[in-house]
Amino acid sequence: MARSNEVNLNECKMVVPLNTWVLISNFKLAYNLLRRPDGTFNRHLAEFLDRKVPANANPVDGVFSFDVLIDRGTSLLSRIYRPTTAEEPQPNIAELEKPVTAAVVPVIIFFHGGSFAHSSANSAIYDTLCRRLVRLCKAVVVSVNYRRAPENRYPCAYDDGWTALKWVNSRPWLQSQKDSKVHIYLAGDSSGGNIAHHVALRAIESGIDILGSILLNPMFGGQERTESEKRLDGKYFVTLRDRDWYWRAYLPEGEDRDHPACNPFGPNGRSLEGIKFPKSLVVVAGLDLIQDWQLAYVEGLKKAGQEVKLLYMEQATIGFYLLPNNHHFHTVMDEISKFVSSDC
Amino acid sequence: MVLYDSATLGGSCSGSSSSSSSSKPPPLQQRQQTQQDIDGLLAGAGYRVRSSELRKVAQRLERLETAMVNSPADLSQLASDTIHYNPSDLASWVDSLLSEFTQPPTCPSEFIMDPETNQTVVSDAWTTAEPHMPQVHQNISYQQQSLNNQLTVDNQLTVVTAMEEDSGIRLVHMLMTCAECVQRGDFSLATSCLEDMQGLLTRVNTVCGIGKVAGHFIDALSRRIFQGIGGGSINGGSAYENEILYHHFYEACPYLKFAHFTANQAILEAFDGHDCVHVVDFNLMHGLQWPALIQALALRPGGPPLLRLTGIGPPSPDGRDSLREIGLRLAELARSVNVRFAFRGVAASRLEDVKPWMLQVNPKESVAVNSIMQLHRLLGSDLNRNSPIETVLSWIRSLNPKIMTVVEQEANHNQPGFLDRFTEALHYYSTMFDSLEACTVQPNKALAEIYIQREIANVVSCEGSARVERHEPLSKWRTRLSGAGFRPLHLGSNAYKQASMLLTLFSAEGYSVEENDGCLTLGWHSRPLIAASAWQAVSDGPADFPA
Repeated sequence: MARSNEVNLNECKMVVPLNTWVLISNFKLAYNLLRRPDGTFNRHLAEFLDRKVPANANPVDGVFSFDVLIDRGTSLLSRIYRPTTAEEPQPNIAELEKPVTAAVVPVIIFFHGGSFAHSSANSAIYDTLCRRLVRLCKAVVVSVNYRRAPENRYPCAYDDGWTALKWVNSRPWLQSQKDSKVHIYLAGDSSGGNIAHHVALRAIESGIDILGSILLNPMFGGQERTESEKRLDGKYFVTLRDRDWYWRAYLPEGEDRDHPACNPFGPNGRSLEGIKFPKSLVVVAGLDLIQDWQLAYVEGLKKAGQEVKLLYMEQATIGFYLLPNNHHFHTVMDEISKFVSSDC
Repeated sequence: MVLYDSATLGGSCSGSSSSSSSSKPPPLQQRQQTQQDIDGLLAGAGYRVRSSELRKVAQRLERLETAMVNSPADLSQLASDTIHYNPSDLASWVDSLLSEFTQPPTCPSEFIMDPETNQTVVSDAWTTAEPHMPQVHQNISYQQQSLNNQLTVDNQLTVVTAMEEDSGIRLVHMLMTCAECVQRGDFSLATSCLEDMQGLLTRVNTVCGIGKVAGHFIDALSRRIFQGIGGGSINGGSAYENEILYHHFYEACPYLKFAHFTANQAILEAFDGHDCVHVVDFNLMHGLQWPALIQALALRPGGPPLLRLTGIGPPSPDGRDSLREIGLRLAELARSVNVRFAFRGVAASRLEDVKPWMLQVNPKESVAVNSIMQLHRLLGSDLNRNSPIETVLSWIRSLNPKIMTVVEQEANHNQPGFLDRFTEALHYYSTMFDSLEACTVQPNKALAEIYIQREIANVVSCEGSARVERHEPLSKWRTRLSGAGFRPLHLGSNAYKQASMLLTLFSAEGYSVEENDGCLTLGWHSRPLIAASAWQAVSDGPADFPA
């Protein structure tokens, strides 16, 4: 057992820079301490260990942020990130919700990752990522602090995403000058990618226009054990066992992984043929053990005639987009920027 | 050949040939030196790791993983019983976990035999030269500084808002305009702003949200404009009144309970194994903090110590000796739980009037100094060379306390510019008022609001020695206390967990405890409002220079 671990550790050391390895290994080990075999979660320790940053209405590198309580009933907070403009390098505190001035301003609703159980909108890694997205896409980013498993199972995260979508869509100050509409994109990594898909699904009959979805290493799965899961189990920071734990924590009790939340194009899934669904940018890391499910998702969209672009990053592991120290990061950021600006 | 003593070795890198023999290393310079070595990307993720130590930390992580895999029983204990400290200091965190394992294994992959020399060398299995990396390093070097700053941002302004109606937003606008006029000295324009705002107030919902807190800020601005900055009657409230308001603030929301609870926990741990202990409380009030500590000491394994409590408070007018009365009550409680107890009251109108000899600290006893929202009152600088804070910190240090617990408002209300202070206060107190809404018990809430209102009035309408509410954020206190010869004692996951549990017992949803580099903060949603920290005096002597 120790021998194969040795091999595993050596393999993932080869493909990521040292500081990335330290960061992701730290998460991996900390998360091991938090998941209990009986399915409960050590939430206090999780919150203690999570590195958080407060919002900052004073701009840093051209981005300022503030938190808004979107729904008092569920204590749903979102962190809004806005770019400063040439005309207003220092925003007036009374005008945090000042109308956007450009002809077209993309508004990206971002769902952080964490396998439905970890992290928050104010986690340092996600605060950093959202700030990058603002600068990259000249967008407003709304990072949703959705309720997490196992305390809050399906469909709480989707409900919170839906609440956030309605809130964003109804903010006059987020409307682009060109057409007085809010130009909305959904984005998320890991469980956040899964949430983005399901919020887009829920939006279908609502009349709310979503211009595109960006799914970074989205979390999908199924009952079957796929080839990539067997081949990559335990090799690059992630094990099948932990994936199973998180699905058991999120899905309704008694449900298996073919539940449509987990497997949207599986036996219990819904066909998207003929449906007006937003175009998708799906990023898959070649060393992510759940890639077969992510690729199946892309296939599912294609078969239904939906517009989807796949970015397959062969040598990338999970979390590659957290630190800007590898070429996958820069490639993906470029694509995201093009994806979001193509509507201008 | 110039000889550098150990004080300057770590500090200066300019190559100038001065051989200063300072008696203690300049802390700021050293910190800047180490900061430049911190991995900027990990700093952006909230972790402080020196680039030069990355490899070592990685190896330890590897060892930890192997240990966790090899002994799952230890793992579950690690998960439930171990106390974690300061997760930002990744190296220490990993080491502390490693030390929990009974037999830390050596990871075979670490060492390989060098065939040439037949010696074991540490394997260098990490990629050292990715072709693109030098370029990327160049690109991120300018980011490094700002990422470093992210770990300790000095100029932070955190806003948590709910959806406001238009009139609420207009009110904020006008408040800012008025404050700006005041800063410029344009009092006639400020006065007309005031009138407009009074008018708008009648049309805004003053029961909650910005409407409620705006009223207090308008009052404070009025006071400043019409009565001048001497403080007027707001500070003239009697000590008795203040105590009542304080008590209601204590009941209405969890901030003081959190402060007391967290400080007591740390004091209890510091007193472990000591039989003669002495707590110095910088602001006794009703002694609300102490029954819990007395009871905890009564129950500690091995039996309670002899506890002395010295309570500092304002002198009572009218012949009462309120300090002594409280002392008697506490003594009664101590007696009922068999804790040997002695109380001493020190009456002083200002903390800076207290002299250490008044505390009668016995060299054989272990001392805890407890300051709940008192240190900031010492930050007003007078014309003398020594500001009160330096004097007081210096004599605290001379007592060589086992622990000093410090709780302060997590706000930047001591900035020199009036508008900056005003802005910060507007957001801080809006958030605090919002959090009070969670408390529905009257009259606690109404009187608690008056307590807070007095703070607002002091921050906004006073200057000079009258302005005592000079709150500063944790980052500033860290610098100040480190510079004064104290080192932090980290509050761990056990304190965090108990504080969180206390919150769910007493308060509504919305309050959150956060860990911040060894300290704990309590706030409303994502905005910390109160910060608790613990400190110990660094002992003197050349052997204690950091290497």
